[in-house]
Amino acid sequence: MTAALLELICPAGSLPALKAAVDHGADGVYLGLKDNTNARNFAGLNFDEKSLADGIRYAQARGRKVLMALNTYPQPATLPRWHKAVDTAASLGVDAIILADPGLMAYARKTHPQLRLHLSVQGSATSYEAVNFYRERFGIQRAVLPRVLSLAQVENVIDHTDAEIELFGFGGLCVMVEGRCLLSSYACGDSPNTFGACSPGHAVRWEQTPKGMETRLNGVLIDRYADNEKAGYPTLCKGRFEVQGETYYALEEPTSLNSMEMLPEMARLGIAAIKIEGRQRSPAYVAQVTQVWRAAIDAVKRAPESFKPTPAWTAALAKVSEGSMNTLGAYYRPWK
Amino acid sequence: MKFPAFPAFTPRDFPAFTPRGFPAFTPRGFPAFTPRDFPKPVARVIAALPTWPASRAFALAANLAAWPALRELDWSHVHGRHFCVHVRDAGLKLYFSLHADGFRAEGSGVVDVTFTATAADFARLSLRLEDPDTLFFNRRLLIEGDTDLGLTVKNMLDALELETAAASMPAGFGRVVLHLRRLSAEG
Amino acid sequence: MEMIKPVKRMKLALGPLLYYWSREDTLAFYQQAAGWPLDIVYLGETVCSRRHLLRLPDWLELAEKLGAAGKEVVLSSQTLIESESDLKALRKLIADGREGGNHPKVEANEWGAVRLLAEAGCEFVAGPTLNAYNPDTLAMLAEMGATRWVPPVEMPRETIRDMLAALPESTHIETELFGYGRLPLAFSARCFTARHYNLQKDDCQFRCLDHPDGLVLASREGEDFLAINGIQTQSAKVMSLAHRFDELPAAGIDVLRLSPQWRQMDRVVAIFRALADGDIAPKEAPARLDRFMPAAPCDGYWLGEAGMDYHPVGAPA
Repeated sequence: MTAALLELICPAGSLPALKAAVDHGADGVYLGLKDNTNARNFAGLNFDEKSLADGIRYAQARGRKVLMALNTYPQPATLPRWHKAVDTAASLGVDAIILADPGLMAYARKTHPQLRLHLSVQGSATSYEAVNFYRERFGIQRAVLPRVLSLAQVENVIDHTDAEIELFGFGGLCVMVEGRCLLSSYACGDSPNTFGACSPGHAVRWEQTPKGMETRLNGVLIDRYADNEKAGYPTLCKGRFEVQGETYYALEEPTSLNSMEMLPEMARLGIAAIKIEGRQRSPAYVAQVTQVWRAAIDAVKRAPESFKPTPAWTAALAKVSEGSMNTLGAYYRPWK
Repeated sequence: MKFPAFPAFTPRDFPAFTPRGFPAFTPRGFPAFTPRDFPKPVARVIAALPTWPASRAFALAANLAAWPALRELDWSHVHGRHFCVHVRDAGLKLYFSLHADGFRAEGSGVVDVTFTATAADFARLSLRLEDPDTLFFNRRLLIEGDTDLGLTVKNMLDALELETAAASMPAGFGRVVLHLRRLSAEG
Repeated sequence: MEMIKPVKRMKLALGPLLYYWSREDTLAFYQQAAGWPLDIVYLGETVCSRRHLLRLPDWLELAEKLGAAGKEVVLSSQTLIESESDLKALRKLIADGREGGNHPKVEANEWGAVRLLAEAGCEFVAGPTLNAYNPDTLAMLAEMGATRWVPPVEMPRETIRDMLAALPESTHIETELFGYGRLPLAFSARCFTARHYNLQKDDCQFRCLDHPDGLVLASREGEDFLAINGIQTQSAKVMSLAHRFDELPAAGIDVLRLSPQWRQMDRVVAIFRALADGDIAPKEAPARLDRFMPAAPCDGYWLGEAGMDYHPVGAPA
């Protein structure tokens, strides 16, 4: 593969975040519009046409790429809005669009044959047969793999496809296969697939009570934190529940993915890009995390054999992590 | 899927926590930029003060220092909503609402959303040195009430460009904000 | 004079067994199912590749027996494909299924299976995890060989109706709705049952066997909320559209899927059969069904609300 190797792709929920990513060394940023056409549909977040145009100009003038996520599943009544978003992306000159829905890919392919397509993690493609389906049918150039495969399994995908493979490197960790999780809509009616967010703000309530700080989703108690306990996002997969009389994090602790120590292996496998999660987070987070990962990727490209994350990098990443904890997730098989 | 949270108040909202922005309630030696709590006796005195004048002073200062930058954004969907900023270590609660003509002080009767943090953390958020989600994970920031409203405000303020905002602040003030940010980032 | 429209008889399907039961219990279950008033039976392991008490030849043998009993049999593919051995099993399912005596169709539960089935020129059922949320994607599936589809379990009735209304005239596809059972909500690489017992997934000791209807997970206020089933997370509540059976035709539903449960499945099937035959009214169904259900009902997804909500008939939706 002569394609790019270990590009650093960073999140941007706003123009200042995009600039922070570019200024701190991202090779590309990914972003979305201010509606449910992407999977970070939160009030006040994301780009309108003007800020999108400004962002594209800012990034491309500095030789960086802008990837636009249109990675939710359009429904019959709203399909035209997704089509329009694809048209907007094409006309403003984004470097690629990130899609999950096959119907939408067909539209993009037909209407804008020059537009580069990436398969979103929300497309739930975990095997090369699935990746090759999108590759053959719509000509996707890159696939982002769900955070459920071990590195050995990732290698098997790479060996059997000529699509580029992008992996999540750092940030919020979906325990469930992306695109195949309806926990949020079961509790509150809105899921990432349809609404573009899990645990949307309108359904979340935090409250300091005598028993501790309580997090509820549409009334369901997700967790209650004692004063000295670190908190996580109000997602159901990071809640504490009771199973057979035992109360614990039944699905996953509040923790973030950090795969940095596997960078040399990822480089060896020919991973095209590392994605940093966190479009919902502030420009401060984007700056801090981009800076660390830029340094790490440069180091691994220079000397993969001797690469080791420095204590300073590890500390900086742990600091901004959910629950202040990190995990290798599914890349490390025993996690499963 | 992750959930964004938590209000990031930028300098325009909280002149209170820059050394000069909030004369009425700045105790002597107020450690604005070190993460130290208020001395307890001071906090007790502040907590005993009536909140209305504090909220009024805050709204006045915010209109002077912050509104020129904030008015560029479309706040129509938060107009008339009631906010409470609870400075935990100072025992201070500020009540206000936002309207087409800027901030308005309010009583403590109706609150749509409350943000709670220490003065130092509000200050760091204001200068964009700290990520609000990080503070939330560490239990240093709490948002209670209408979460969506809190998120809207947080995300809109994140979308403000600090340099542009500073430029529209009253003469000198914007420069002070940027200078403080540099100093604090280095320290 | 008002035209009397001929009402199409709702078909009933027994969905794939989502749990892990002993070999004896599983075989006995399907032995009985052969005598139940069902139109379609789905067979095969869709949740976890480590579950091995029945292998493909066993499923094919069951398929033959059920086919002989007059059922249409479909083999369901695994939802989460991770390894080369998963792919090998998938290819075998498609190939052996085709060469078997009664040629069962395959239900594709991810797009790798769709690719393989289309390549082989097989007709197939498009499972609920293919995420067909709009008519473009659905028409594409039909064009690739899908003769029936199962909407995502979160899809409301209005959306299903709109989807079907927007399909091209030339597209013919049956619609099968998940209508009874604990809802399959999420899939993970991690096994939550093994995690509960502090075991690694690779050494899970098959503890799923101890939880034939899943392992209930309650909120810290004691509210039953979800059910753990290996790598799958289900609703604790049982989705039931028995009381809304008469609403199904208007949304275009041709087949109702009943998801296997550990006990009293025969009674559940009988009640839905009585509904389909018009022998009991939907509003009578909950009272009859109640004592055969492992948990309280929910129907929120059908109404476009939180999945866990429940609206008894007569109450405003």
